[in-house]
Amino acid sequence: MLRKIALLLIGVVIIACYALPYLFIGQIAAWTGSFLFWCLAGVAIVLLNAAAMAGFTEDDR
Amino acid sequence: MNTSYVVTGIFIYIVISLVVAWISRQGKATSMSGYFLGDRSMGGIISALSYSATTYSAFMMIGLAGLTYRGGVGALGFEIVYFAGVSLVAIFGPRFWRAGKKYGYVTPSEMLGHRYGSRSVAIAAGITSLVFLIPYSAVQLSGVGYLLSGMTDGSISFMTGIIIATALAIVFSYIAGIRSVMWTDSLQALVMIVASVMVAVLVVQGLGGFTAMFGTIAETTPEMLQVPGPGLFSFKTFLGLTVPWFFFSISNPQVSQRLFMPANLVALRRMLLIFLCFGLIYTIVSVIWGFAAFVAFPTLEQPDLATATLLASDYVPPVLGVTVMVGILAAAVSTIDSILLTLSSVFARDVYGNLGGSQDDRHQLMIGKFVIPVISILALIFAAAEFSMIAVLSVAASAGLVVVVPAIVGAFFWRGGTAMGALASIVGGAVFVIWMYLTGNSLFGLNAGVLGLPMSSLLFVVISLVTKPTAASVTDGFVDETPDPKGILHPKLGALK
Repeated sequence: MLRKIALLLIGVVIIACYALPYLFIGQIAAWTGSFLFWCLAGVAIVLLNAAAMAGFTEDDR
Repeated sequence: MNTSYVVTGIFIYIVISLVVAWISRQGKATSMSGYFLGDRSMGGIISALSYSATTYSAFMMIGLAGLTYRGGVGALGFEIVYFAGVSLVAIFGPRFWRAGKKYGYVTPSEMLGHRYGSRSVAIAAGITSLVFLIPYSAVQLSGVGYLLSGMTDGSISFMTGIIIATALAIVFSYIAGIRSVMWTDSLQALVMIVASVMVAVLVVQGLGGFTAMFGTIAETTPEMLQVPGPGLFSFKTFLGLTVPWFFFSISNPQVSQRLFMPANLVALRRMLLIFLCFGLIYTIVSVIWGFAAFVAFPTLEQPDLATATLLASDYVPPVLGVTVMVGILAAAVSTIDSILLTLSSVFARDVYGNLGGSQDDRHQLMIGKFVIPVISILALIFAAAEFSMIAVLSVAASAGLVVVVPAIVGAFFWRGGTAMGALASIVGGAVFVIWMYLTGNSLFGLNAGVLGLPMSSLLFVVISLVTKPTAASVTDGFVDETPDPKGILHPKLGALK
């Protein structure tokens, strides 16, 4: 279940990476605009991948 | 910058790397999987560092900084979408790894050929890799050429730079195959991450601090912080750049081949997570370099010189500047030597082996080793042609390689995918992408990066629906029995046909 949710959320983050800057926050002329958003999206991707692969084990079960 | 510093730095790098490469040998690799896959027993940390070094190349440190310099913050978005695309490893990594272990695959194209029961599919995927990855290697070589000539004001010529990089890539590939490549990659990745962060911190401090630097940009050229920005990153261009790069981790054989190498799934997980942490730092650092160069040197004619100009400036102490410069040289070499190994294994296994050549493993290994310098010289010739924008050419390669994605996805998720479908999607898709680039790269206002994947997907699905799988096709270990305890995607899509 955790894997499923994590993979779905990765999809949401990816769509947001296009939609938010191009539709909503793109006109903010400061580092707190698209720059900050894409940095945070990167952090979210790392954490969600950790969750998506949490069940991997050495004996492949 | 003083040329003698640069020459000394390169000399030290060569000596240390040769020692590391030599130590990495473990007996004599006499099989294809020993030489090209490290006997499928690579640990997670070395795999991660090497995966980082292979992916993040001269393109990253020079091309992405240049792209930021030219197009503003959109460059960060482009790289973050690519970065998010590496999550495909979480879905496809275990599947590649299990299939590779079960059937002993050496290359991803060999896997496709076996899955669809068709040598032609393996040959087509192999030749597509060769056609598009050689220009990509040339891009890395050009990166070294720009860097060395930029930092020494032309004392080291562009041509000398690309010859040094080619020679090193050949030597590292030869010493111990993938083992020497992975260990020299790891050394490079570690040095680079520390040095590049230090450069970013020093330069930003020199420009008055993070807030001041961005404040200057907001005051003088606010569009650099906006989307679409100063003009480069219109939504169509952004889409064209990001779509092929999103699939990089499964479409580019020099990285997807790495999915066969980890010792187990825990090592695979470790590889991906450490890589992601590295990648995020590299990405942000490169973009900050681009912004810093824009503030410090706003009138550069060639954006790809942003990094070199920054490193040679007074903001960076010479020793650190040379360390990073050598790190970037090593990054280019680490990408090229991995591509060389992958392409030589693809040629030996999928092209030579399937076109009537010997099936003997040792004989194929010999052919693979013979091909390494031949491919290098081809890349060298491409690089000597001096293309202008590194990033754009790099993306042309990705747009071409992305045509194998439908066949890869179908291999694991659609039992109805057929050899004819796979063949049509790879050959038809590649021809389409090349035709696009030859005719101005615009159809209905969209470029090959956007259209290549839909075109090859359409071919794959339609041709698969009207043809039948060959008798030799294999689904065991792919569609039916791919263990997927959490049940993601597999059961429903697998039953489509």
